Amino acid sequence: MPETFQDFDAVVVGAGPAGSTAALVLARAGRRVALLERGPYPGSKNMYGGVVYGRVLDGLLPAWWDEVPAQRWVTRRSTMVLTPTQALSVDFRTQAWGSPPYNGCTTLRPDFDRWLAGKAEEAGAVLITSTTATGLLRQGTRTVGVRTDRPQGDLRAPVVVACDGVNSFLAKEAGLYHHPEPEHFTLGVKEVLGLPRHEVEKRFALQGDEGMDIEILGGTGPVPGGGFLYTNLDSIAVGVVLHLPALAASRRRPEDLIADLKAHPAIAPLVAGGDLKEFSAHLIPEGGYEAMPGVVADGLLVAGDAAGLCLAAGLWLEGVNFAIASGQAAAEAAIEALRSGDSSAAGLAGYRRRLEASFVLQDHKKLRRAPGLVLSERVQHQYPKALCDVVEALFTVDNPAPKRGALRAARAVGKNDGVRLRDLARDLYTMARTFG
Amino acid sequence: MCQKWVDHRPEVDPLTGAVTTDPRTSAASAADHAALEWGLRMVEGWGGELLVATAGPAAAEVVLREALAAGAHHAVRIDLEATATSEEVAAGLAERLAGADVVLCGDWSLDRGSGSVPAFLAAQLAAASGLGCTVLALDPDRPGEVRAERRLDGGRRERLVLESPAVVSVEGGGTRLRRASLAGVLQAREAAVEVASAPPLTPSRPPLRIGPYRPRPRSRPAPSAELTARERILVLTGTPADRPPPQLLVLEPAAAADRILDQLRTWGYLL
Ligand SMILES: Cc1cc2nc3c(=O)[nH]c(=O)nc-3n(C[C@H](O)[C@H](O)[C@H](O)COP(=O)(O)OP(=O)(O)OC[C@H]3O[C@@H](n4cnc5c(N)ncnc54)[C@H](O)[C@@H]3O)c2cc1C
Repeated sequence: MPETFQDFDAVVVGAGPAGSTAALVLARAGRRVALLERGPYPGSKNMYGGVVYGRVLDGLLPAWWDEVPAQRWVTRRSTMVLTPTQALSVDFRTQAWGSPPYNGCTTLRPDFDRWLAGKAEEAGAVLITSTTATGLLRQGTRTVGVRTDRPQGDLRAPVVVACDGVNSFLAKEAGLYHHPEPEHFTLGVKEVLGLPRHEVEKRFALQGDEGMDIEILGGTGPVPGGGFLYTNLDSIAVGVVLHLPALAASRRRPEDLIADLKAHPAIAPLVAGGDLKEFSAHLIPEGGYEAMPGVVADGLLVAGDAAGLCLAAGLWLEGVNFAIASGQAAAEAAIEALRSGDSSAAGLAGYRRRLEASFVLQDHKKLRRAPGLVLSERVQHQYPKALCDVVEALFTVDNPAPKRGALRAARAVGKNDGVRLRDLARDLYTMARTFG
Repeated sequence: MCQKWVDHRPEVDPLTGAVTTDPRTSAASAADHAALEWGLRMVEGWGGELLVATAGPAAAEVVLREALAAGAHHAVRIDLEATATSEEVAAGLAERLAGADVVLCGDWSLDRGSGSVPAFLAAQLAAASGLGCTVLALDPDRPGEVRAERRLDGGRRERLVLESPAVVSVEGGGTRLRRASLAGVLQAREAAVEVASAPPLTPSRPPLRIGPYRPRPRSRPAPSAELTARERILVLTGTPADRPPPQLLVLEPAAAADRILDQLRTWGYLL
């Protein structure tokens, strides 16, 4: 073992999707890279809803779908709007997503993260598990490595890539977190319920390895947020995403809110009899573009959730693909900096440029108004109720009265549910600008 | 010293009793970690080298690398299926551990282990055995002599003095494995692990017949419907109803401690 065994070209902290991708790309470029993970194996500490959109892997791992430890391939996607007694769904199915190159798969993080970290190891990255980075090694303001919780545990490298997930202590230590306020975070809480495979397929009208993804608006009681329900092979994941300050103010327990969602008449038959296998909770950086921390400092790059690069915007809850793309961009910028021998913030600036040029920042920029809009009282409660009431009025057959037209029904409901035209017009305009 | 690779969170099917294990949640147990720590202290105090051995499939080598990272000098894996019996495991280990001054093991493994591997090992190595020890005392001037303490029924303890060759198994509770240095972890990744095959074993004579224990159902008269559900269960299970009722005492901490000691004495846990 050479004297300099602790010296690497790059140290990547966190073997989640961002970190493993960064390590994979660096190792493929022939760089000596250490991938630190605090858990006993990659994915052991990680949770999420359940769907990975793998298009981002096409360039990195061609035909990834032959190997990825997928549970099911999502061919059915439903968006549900709930009030306590009503449910309105837009349900979409396409067989095109059920064959290569696919669109998204449900996969369990202990499987997926281990698989991706395995790819980094195969390429030559040194995965060090059960080891926590406890801080940055600094020379002045420059990061020159990390400290770990092991004896003689300092690791030195010209570039450190912080992929340590939401609320990154490393990025905070480097002074890159400008918006640590709780309002920029949501709490994701999830139950995994075991059901026999045939039962999952029967309840969600699936065949073979087809899967379903349901996103839910209005199922979180007094706390702004959203819900989700995903199908695995022989289990389902049901959970809620809750705005942090509102959750604290409501004094409700997250597990009670999941219980309420599970008891909703539209959800209860889907989850009935499920055997609780796992309960987990995790923060989500939901602040979007406006709340994003700095991502480059001297000797330091920040990627994935650590950089707030999770797209949690109503119709979408995507973080893994953003983590992979930002991990890749960070690694490419690091390789460039190592080649030129300049790993200062200026030398690493290619990272931000790469993010700007890719979907990572373009999507975040485009959807910058989404968090405020989606978590607003009107979108959370007023509009779901009004929408459901209009549909109820439209489909209620109250002969001998003649049918009311949709517009008349909408006007009546709007009045009843207190929807002001001015607000609606403004919100529709914002929605069109955000999602259009 | 011996380490066993065992799943810490196996899944048991409640209907069939089938056990599913997962390599991701498999590792050495707390008792094996304690044994490793005592092994490391022995070589620090007495000199010599620490050989760590496991019997199991290739995936079990993670426990050897963990021990190498913490400071063990050599590692050997006896290639055996996870389903091997204690006798087979001990025979495989004994061949490689013969000649050791002290062999250390965890007291029992997590997968419903009976703690019999160290006993078989002691028999096969013709070594003294001290099983289920809580703490060891090592005198730097008397290498090879192990002073050990272990629990007895009724809250009592006994002290043993063992001379080498000895097999000592230890509990996981009181001793924590040191944290391996980063250098140790990196070196252990590359370290050589010897793989040995287990010797053929003349099987010991099995029992003539093995079957499940199914006592005959006993018929009991139905308890009176007047009783509460709890009382009916007490009658059906034969639980003595005149048991002294639980008491709630509110005492100052010192008086509470005395009261607890008194009660433990009454029950025979303390002398
Ligand atoms: C409830 C919920 C539902 C979600 N649903 C989806 C979904 O369906 N689809 C989707 O694409 N995204 C989803 N996300 C978002 C997604 O999980 C994240 O965006 C993604 O995991 C971010 O990847 P990452 O690599 O940046 O961070 P993480 O996955 O959080 O990985 C960080 C890693 O760093 C390790 N680590 C942390 N600190 C240290 C340290 N100091 N030293 C060493 N290691 C450390 C951790 O153990 C972990 O392995 C969801 C999130 C939540 C909470």
